[in-house]
Amino acid sequence: MEIKTLKIGKKNNKLTESIIHDLRASEDIGVNKCIQCGMCTSVCPASRHSDYDSREIAKRVLEEDESVICDDIIWNCFSCYSCHSVCPVGNSVAEIVQILRQKAIAQGKLEQVVIFLVFGESLMELGVGSIPLEYFNILIEIIGDEYLDIKTNLDDIREELGLGKLTLPEDDTRDIKIILEKTGFTGRLEKLRAYKESSKNSKHKG
Amino acid sequence: MKSSPFSRYAPKSSIDIGVFLCRCGGNISDTVDIEKLKSSIEGAKVVKEFENLCSVKCQKNIRDIILEENLDRVVIAACSPITHKKTFQNHVTPLNPYLLEMANLREQCSWVHTDGDKATDKAITLTNAAVERVKYAQPLDTVVRKIKDSVAVIGGGISGITAALSLAKQGVKVHIIEEKPTVGGNMIKIGKVFSPEKMVEECALCLFNPLINEALEHRNIDIITSAELISSERKAGNFDLLVEKKPRYVKEDKCTACGNCAEVCPVAVPDQWNENLMYRKAIYKPFPQSVPDVYTIDEENCINCGKCEEVCKMDAIDLKMKKEFIPLTVGSIVIATGHKGFDLKNRPEYGHERYDDVVTQMELARIMGVNGPTKGKLLTPSTGKIPKRVVMVQCAGSRDEKPEGKRYCSKVCCMVAMKHANFIKRCYPDTEVIICYTDMRTPGMYENYFRYGQSKGIKLIRGRPGEVVRKDGKMVVRVEDTFRGELLEIETDMVVLSEAMEPSEGTLKVADILNVGLTEDMFVKEKHPKIKPVSTDVEGIYVCGTAQGPKDITDSVSQANAAASKVSEMMNGGLEIEPIIAEIDQSKCTMCGKCIDDCKYKAIYMYDERVSVDPIACTGCGICVSSCEDGAIEIMGQTDGQIFAMISGMLKDKKDGEKIILAFLDYIGYVAADNIGINRISYPESIRIIRVTSINRLMIKHILYAFENGADGIFLGEYPDDLVYPDIQEKVHEFKAELIKNGIDPDRLMYYKVYAPFYRGLAAKFEEFNRQVNKSLDKYEAILSKASSKDI
Repeated sequence: MEIKTLKIGKKNNKLTESIIHDLRASEDIGVNKCIQCGMCTSVCPASRHSDYDSREIAKRVLEEDESVICDDIIWNCFSCYSCHSVCPVGNSVAEIVQILRQKAIAQGKLEQVVIFLVFGESLMELGVGSIPLEYFNILIEIIGDEYLDIKTNLDDIREELGLGKLTLPEDDTRDIKIILEKTGFTGRLEKLRAYKESSKNSKHKG
Repeated sequence: MKSSPFSRYAPKSSIDIGVFLCRCGGNISDTVDIEKLKSSIEGAKVVKEFENLCSVKCQKNIRDIILEENLDRVVIAACSPITHKKTFQNHVTPLNPYLLEMANLREQCSWVHTDGDKATDKAITLTNAAVERVKYAQPLDTVVRKIKDSVAVIGGGISGITAALSLAKQGVKVHIIEEKPTVGGNMIKIGKVFSPEKMVEECALCLFNPLINEALEHRNIDIITSAELISSERKAGNFDLLVEKKPRYVKEDKCTACGNCAEVCPVAVPDQWNENLMYRKAIYKPFPQSVPDVYTIDEENCINCGKCEEVCKMDAIDLKMKKEFIPLTVGSIVIATGHKGFDLKNRPEYGHERYDDVVTQMELARIMGVNGPTKGKLLTPSTGKIPKRVVMVQCAGSRDEKPEGKRYCSKVCCMVAMKHANFIKRCYPDTEVIICYTDMRTPGMYENYFRYGQSKGIKLIRGRPGEVVRKDGKMVVRVEDTFRGELLEIETDMVVLSEAMEPSEGTLKVADILNVGLTEDMFVKEKHPKIKPVSTDVEGIYVCGTAQGPKDITDSVSQANAAASKVSEMMNGGLEIEPIIAEIDQSKCTMCGKCIDDCKYKAIYMYDERVSVDPIACTGCGICVSSCEDGAIEIMGQTDGQIFAMISGMLKDKKDGEKIILAFLDYIGYVAADNIGINRISYPESIRIIRVTSINRLMIKHILYAFENGADGIFLGEYPDDLVYPDIQEKVHEFKAELIKNGIDPDRLMYYKVYAPFYRGLAAKFEEFNRQVNKSLDKYEAILSKASSKDI
């Protein structure tokens, strides 16, 4: 078995600290209090359906294993926050994963984030988060005609429930677009789009 | 000496003071010029010097001189009062021991200063200050607390019964107040107990029942069941309690517990004693061995049909019975109100409310109890069949920082799970038992029992289950085996949740009535968790068992005996207390109650429209003196007169150019200062130490008086005890603000946290403060001289 020597004076908790102090982390996030009880994994749907293991993510962070950032496994989490809601010490693997993903993007690792491009584009267009059109057929396939029903009669259903329209007034959509531009969101989308194009091209060449 | 306007304890017009100087075999006289000191003492009738004042021979000398000269007061200028005050208090008999004052010439002068002239000057000031102060001394008597020879034990579980028996055997009258119709508490319900050293589960009832019967029969014990404490008042060290006894509707002296009544009773309700796993009647006895052995009507559910009355041959039923109020005066109280199990509604993911086959450890205990719903057979509740597999989930509600969760480890659950697992394995070897755990905590001898369980084939899975669900018609526990990194769904017939322990409602209620403090986790708080266990923050009230925190029966019994021993110490020890305590001038007191709120030791209480002080609880810290707007409180032995006299005494011989810093130190601070001397570390001669009970005793008037009378700086040193430190901080801020208002540089006042072993730190701080004061004074001088040169 390979021996790992824990050298004196090489104390390193850069990754852990950067996560704890990241803006996206909850105040008092219990990263350091994790005792690897596995409760997060036991309720994690991603763990049930893939090789992802929430506990393992928390462990790798505490071990300062920087390779976790570029590991594709972190893209298996779909942010349901089950781990977050059960953790007995106030840790949140869901939040850790989001921070790790941002680190991955900052390091230029974009291939996993490309699938989110369509979500960003629909936010730009509608001003609210929604399921992109291209998933429409897949969802009908999974959920059934019910989904089609809801989608086509959404405005009527909402009216019946005393709710307003889901789509925003045009002025608001324009304002949101401006905000997204000023905050750099649009720029990031463009970068992503460019990356998508270039990777398509390189595939063709290959 | 001008007559003091400060205190109602003004000195007598003429008092004869004797001053006794000690050379301490050269320890003092090698540095201090004793002849000069002797000739510089003012206001004494006689001044005598001796080689070794503390010797037995000198005792007679001192006494003879007191009698010959007819002295009223005595000053001993020698060593530290910490070392020898008691000795000299004996030496001065027949004078009252509090008419003695000591000047600490050794630890605070000869041992810390090398310059003979300066040391002699300082010795003169220290001695003269003691002379000034002794003029204000009052004869005080040690307080002997007489308390009633009886105790109320609240709660009749294993802790309460143990404490009661121990006290009763020591001749103390004990009243056990139990809210349920029977004593026994949680222990009597659990069926089996584990113990260190033994590899076997023992019968809880067989161990406990003889103790209960002994308590029942003991002439010093009076058991009051169906009763609750409803009020408590403190009175001269005693407690006046009012207990409400709920009507049982059955005459205890007539009922023979034949059970005919229950047979005819038409009302069936869930049986709480059996964790609601079965039914009982509205007239019932919780379990066959209940003590007292009588039936009770549960008034919430009784429909008053009168059928029981008809069948009772003893005429024991009285449906018109009224509640009763029982007044008790006791000298002490033991809180033994116990715990309850964590409410698993708060962890819905474990399905306790959804699935019949998810039970708690206490429910499992009832199921496996021979006097329980299945008469001791382990049967799956939904099917009535012996389970093929039982999965136990540890830390259900414990070690849990989520809302409603308990942050602490409940301490017993690992052993409880092992006990039940071993018991199942013993009786049903074919049933598989799996314990899902985060850490198995079986410390000390319990580890043997844990190993024993492993050898019997109990399976352990390291992982904290996230949920219990039904899947394909089977109950499933979802857990990750964290050693293998494998996500498991364990099919099972039964799930047992090891529920956390939390304080019982009775514990919270009683703590509120008695005004005792609670911990963050709402258990009864001990005065000091390390060195004052079983004492609460109210003098005379003790705590034991799970009311104080999660623990097993072994620990509860030890703690109960410790509590009994503390009560007995108070009652049999003939407790004598140093009378340095608060005294209230009833003619000035307006009973505003501010002192009661401010007292950190809960020593002040209202009784019979008088504010009174519990002499045992009072530490003389003096917070109350500052909070009393009527000036109705004095600390005996630390009166304003004595403090002012000490300040003026220290300053009155101040020479031109001499710097004097008054250092007010509490007991720990004083001990640390003594240690500086003992270790011969030096500090500036300007430091003059005055011992106070606490910095909180000082008020701005003392501080301003000191500066007005020539003090160059004031140093405040005290051990930052949790109870008094916040007030000290506030006080120091207040002092600084007042100094600014009075045009005095706040840098001339310093507070320092003193720790007894870190006397070097205190010496260094003295040096630092001395420099700080000099700098402040130099700055002041510079400004003055600049201003005056301009004037010219």
